[in-house]
Amino acid sequence: MQLIEQHGTNNPVKQLPSHHKRITNMNMNDDIDHKELADWLTAVGQDRDKQAFTCLFKFFSPKILRIAGSKFNTQNIANEIVQETMTNVWRKAHLYNADKGAPTTWVYTVMRNVSFDLLRKIQSKKEDTLSDDIWPTLDVADESENEFEDHFESQKVLSLLDSLPEKQQQVIKGFYLMEMSQEQLAKHLNLPLGTVKSRLRLALNKLKQQVDLQLGDNHD
Amino acid sequence: MIKHHPKTELLNAHVNGQLPASLSAAIAMHNDLCPQCAQAVKHMTEQQAELLFEHNDAPELANDIDLNEIDIEQMISDITNDDSVELLAENVPVTISVKGQDYKIPRAIQHMHMGKWHSLGKITRARMELNEGDIHSSLLQIEPGGTVPEHTHKGFELTLLLQGSFSDEMGTYVPGDFIMLDGEHQHTPATTEGCLCFTVADGAQHFTQGINKLLNPIGSFIY
Repeated sequence: MQLIEQHGTNNPVKQLPSHHKRITNMNMNDDIDHKELADWLTAVGQDRDKQAFTCLFKFFSPKILRIAGSKFNTQNIANEIVQETMTNVWRKAHLYNADKGAPTTWVYTVMRNVSFDLLRKIQSKKEDTLSDDIWPTLDVADESENEFEDHFESQKVLSLLDSLPEKQQQVIKGFYLMEMSQEQLAKHLNLPLGTVKSRLRLALNKLKQQVDLQLGDNHD
Repeated sequence: MIKHHPKTELLNAHVNGQLPASLSAAIAMHNDLCPQCAQAVKHMTEQQAELLFEHNDAPELANDIDLNEIDIEQMISDITNDDSVELLAENVPVTISVKGQDYKIPRAIQHMHMGKWHSLGKITRARMELNEGDIHSSLLQIEPGGTVPEHTHKGFELTLLLQGSFSDEMGTYVPGDFIMLDGEHQHTPATTEGCLCFTVADGAQHFTQGINKLLNPIGSFIY
């Protein structure tokens, strides 16, 4: 039972997988009764058993609060994760299959998915709850077909060159197609270096605008 | 045979829910095709659950978090008063058609918002609208005979091959191959039979040769 300490690490997450089996087998924590947890989950799933749910809640919620608190470090978010996770446990318990894994693993995935979606909501301002598609142990999705639209004809980029003013074409072709340096171009065209640079910049901006226009898409 | 897999650290971060949705989706799609990594993830998930729920050395309670702030009885009764049950949705496969070619879309990205498809020569792509800052994800189709000009990247570039095949200087790839490159790599992917890829990159491409340098200002088009 004390194997973890004997391994002498403060961060057992990093344990090598080869150690894992031993820990699983030898570290059967006396406090954890998988059978009991699984029975509670089953009772919630099959009979909507509120007493069993209360037992699950009392077992898991302090742990979830700790975990969420260490990850997000604010009381409100930690509370929300407890609430959301336990709500999903209540609503999805019938999807738990005791033959397929430990109840703790199942609740962990529920909690992880809740945290993932919440983190995404905070960071990306998106409420698209992708977690159940990415980790589809809980439920499975469907959607209608996407349609394809083709806007852009082939090989546009080079033809766009022709749309540039002659002087800009010169610098673009010289710099990119003939691989001349800006200094060489300046000498070749008998222009100040600054003019070559600004012409090049103008030409590229114009090309980029054209491409954006054709794509109808702000890709950056 | 799949030869390119996500690194263990990446799988671990995936299990912990720490990756951006784009990368986690890529790992999920890889795992659909790679029993070996799927098994590793299952294992890590069990291990992580056990660590967090079954050991007493779980994370220390953060200073600002108070266990007593939750009204347990109230929360339990709120939750159990709702009698609705989450139903298992039927899995309807999603297919898309790109330039006359039909593709099955993996579950992991079925609900992602997708931009319109755009083509540049034999390359056609649609952005995933994930809003992940500098990280851009796309579905990328290359028609038979198509090539992405030799390029490198400022950050990382992940290519997950979903259908078809392609080759570059480092070899030939099959569906499921998880190809992670960084700024150290230059490559010129080319496909004879055509392919569909899911790509994730955190910087624009940088084309390295001749006329294709012209593409640099628009290098963000592809990835």
